[in-house]
Amino acid sequence: MPTSVVTSAPPPDAVPPRQLRVRAPAVVVLALALFVAIALALAGGAMPIALQDLFDAQAGLQRMVLAEIRAPRVALAGCVGGALALSGAALQGLFRNPLADPGLIGTSSGAALGAVAMIVIGGVLAIPRPVAPFALPLAAIAGAMLVTLFLYAFASRYGQFRIVTIVLVGIAVNALAGVGIGAFQYLSDDAQLRSLTFWMMGSFGRANWPSAAPAMFAVAIAATPLFFVARGLDLLQLGESEAYHLGVEVKRLKRRIVLCAAATVGAGVALTGIIGFVGLVVPHLVRLAIGADNRFVLPSAALLGAILTILSDLLARTAAAPAEIPVSLITSAIGAPFFLWLIARARPK
Amino acid sequence: MDRPRHRFLRWAAPLACCLAIDAMPCEGVADSSRIASVGGSLTEILYLLGAEKRIVAIDSTSNYPERAARFPSVGYVRALSAEGLLSMRPTLVLGEHDMGPPEALTAVLRAGVSVVRVAETHSAAGIVAKVRCVASILQLDAESLIARQLAPVVQQLARLRERAPVAEKSVAFLLESQDGAPIGAGRDTSGHGLLNMAVARNVLADFEGWKPVSAEALARRAPDFIVVTKRGVDLAGGVERLSARHFVRATPAGQSNRLVVVDGMEALGFGPRTLQAALRLARRLQTEG
Repeated sequence: MPTSVVTSAPPPDAVPPRQLRVRAPAVVVLALALFVAIALALAGGAMPIALQDLFDAQAGLQRMVLAEIRAPRVALAGCVGGALALSGAALQGLFRNPLADPGLIGTSSGAALGAVAMIVIGGVLAIPRPVAPFALPLAAIAGAMLVTLFLYAFASRYGQFRIVTIVLVGIAVNALAGVGIGAFQYLSDDAQLRSLTFWMMGSFGRANWPSAAPAMFAVAIAATPLFFVARGLDLLQLGESEAYHLGVEVKRLKRRIVLCAAATVGAGVALTGIIGFVGLVVPHLVRLAIGADNRFVLPSAALLGAILTILSDLLARTAAAPAEIPVSLITSAIGAPFFLWLIARARPK
Repeated sequence: MDRPRHRFLRWAAPLACCLAIDAMPCEGVADSSRIASVGGSLTEILYLLGAEKRIVAIDSTSNYPERAARFPSVGYVRALSAEGLLSMRPTLVLGEHDMGPPEALTAVLRAGVSVVRVAETHSAAGIVAKVRCVASILQLDAESLIARQLAPVVQQLARLRERAPVAEKSVAFLLESQDGAPIGAGRDTSGHGLLNMAVARNVLADFEGWKPVSAEALARRAPDFIVVTKRGVDLAGGVERLSARHFVRATPAGQSNRLVVVDGMEALGFGPRTLQAALRLARRLQTEG
């Protein structure tokens, strides 16, 4: 892997002692920072809310805004941000490629394609009533899985997981998904188009407890297995056959990561639309700070992803208040320059 | 629209849980002292009714009259923020039929604020009904105002229509898009409604909605006139440039230089001034044809 940047991990027991000292406290520091971010996000918004309002009988509106509008929004932002970063970290480990971001390799557009298809043609299918509320998230998950599996199969057959292959195949996959989305947009009527546009922009503005709670539950279920693939991922960095001989069931590991990451992204994205670059930037920042040991990288990425997304959303809803700017605008403004910097760094020495 | 699709949308709960939002159409609300006006035509109507003192916020499509710009904007009509709306402390959110997302409006409603959508029909009668509807929501009497300012225009349009069947012009309404094919107004669009009001026959009425139209398809339908927006002309770099485009040149409208430029918000917003825009367009079609 001559061009791989940061994922070429040394085996865990060969980690320099300085990083060992940093890693465990880093998780604790990030957890504390997450609390600070949540507090900031709950305190800030278009409606001025002071601490004493919580105990003021006159301030019913403020309490309602805090409990029913801001709180579910912060919770959903944290949950989706954490999920994107965790999936990004796991996918980067799996593809042994630092650019395997859910957005870049097409997982997010696959989810978008699934959801858009469901919005437009869902009415034609006779979906039984109890299943209907889950139809959209399930379609998004299916789309994400389909695209990720395709990418994996294509890349492993025609060119291994080199940076160029992944990025080029990712461009092609994104373009293909774009064709599908465009076709459905053309077919959609005005009401559907409105729903599509909102969805493609990416926003946490739809969050309320009844819609956010099931989505967060689904994300949590899909994401949990990803916390337990660290050891296998570390060994996988040595190469597939090496990992196999060291006792990793490579096939099963791959399948688990692809399915869980796609389900996590799909479930998160189904309610919020596409949120760009979180899955790419966050795992890198984490690896730069604490090294490549996935036992620490995975939880740290989830925490930092939550922090970054919560703060981006805070900016999105306060910068132009009482209007809102799309949160993807902010995450992409942070992420895109970072992406360029990564490419510059990754050139062969 | 077919029923199954509609049924699905209602099921897809978090996406479409808004059906209970709307009060009975046009029913007066108890307190309309602080209004968030979410839609260009509604802001225009509030000014027409002399109720601009009650406005506390507008949306990004409210660009007429220009002095409305002094109010804070709550953003795009389809991407509202619940907290942003509530922070303006409105007692009434008055919105176009397409304001959203539904979740934001549900939250606003739960905070005890009235949320009312005003229906839109793309016709002269629809515009008058919209004014009447807003007036009755605010519990104002608009009849004398309508009789004085709107009814004469509606009557003039009706008179033109009576004379029209002989000389109905075939017209296409095009929005210029930056990348190639122009977007044409098919059936069930505001552009189609404007042409109808202006006593014109929409040559693109064989498809539904706004769709890209190829030069060939346009040439085959042979419109006598092509209506474009000011913004479209600006994008194309001037009327001459636009007239020189192949999709314009290949039509009777292009060959005899019958390109009509209208202000997009005025012509398609379906507020009171759309009546004037339709009358002006109708007269232009009659005199030049």
